[in-house]
Amino acid sequence: MADQDSVVEEIAKLNVDQLRQVKEQVESELSVLQDSLVNIRTAATRFEMASKALNTLSLQPAGKKMLVPLTASLYAAGTLTNPESILVDVGTGYYIEKSLPEGNDYCERKIKFLKANHDKLVEVAGSKQNTAEQVAMVLQAKMRQSSTTTEP
Amino acid sequence: MASMKELQQQLEAKAARLAAIQKDIGKNHQVRRQYTIQHGENEMVQKELELLEEDANVFKLIGPVLVKQDLAEAKANVNKRIEYILAELRRMEGTLKTLEEQQRNSQEEVMKLQQRIQLAQTGKAKS
Repeated sequence: MADQDSVVEEIAKLNVDQLRQVKEQVESELSVLQDSLVNIRTAATRFEMASKALNTLSLQPAGKKMLVPLTASLYAAGTLTNPESILVDVGTGYYIEKSLPEGNDYCERKIKFLKANHDKLVEVAGSKQNTAEQVAMVLQAKMRQSSTTTEP
Repeated sequence: MASMKELQQQLEAKAARLAAIQKDIGKNHQVRRQYTIQHGENEMVQKELELLEEDANVFKLIGPVLVKQDLAEAKANVNKRIEYILAELRRMEGTLKTLEEQQRNSQEEVMKLQQRIQLAQTGKAKS
């Protein structure tokens, strides 16, 4: 690839110290990308769980007795009034009332969106990984060179 | 010729200024990242609102209260917020460019001072 060749040239021009700096920088960028990938996967899993919860909700009849969470450890007895409509948190403090199929649709849309981002990130991480490996190789070669030239 | 001590003091002052500029650049990056994230979130909300029919119910969480909102009003609010964020981002980009230029100038000054100090030291060593 023409891009990779020019990158290799640039790397070859750097001395050992600069190479070490570049290697550290690329590795830290790579670690940030990995974290983002994990976050995306977590978010996608949460949406899938929400979708499953919706399916369970759709099976419940109106008037069914349920426990309503008031805090993390306190529940109150209640009845399911309307299993047809749900409130969806869309961000920045906005909630939209939707029907069950619309809610499922929303979850699916979000999951698709997250998958697309995930795949894009995997590509970027892959090319960063290549760059890191190349920098490491050139660094090793230079270090071997300088150790042989400094011997009396 | 300025004495060694004066040169060292100048170098310290210039180096401190360079460090302050770099700190500002770091802060600029951080704030810009925040704004970019908010922009993304607001865009998603905007898209969701667009998909709604006119009679859909929209609520806004204000403190602990869910308040019913008019769909048109909600859309207008989100749009205004997006515009505001975009304006802020543009402003920060301008500030960043100015800061980067200041950083370059400051780095040059520090390098020049370092060279002068080196020359003065070698001059002293010879004599």
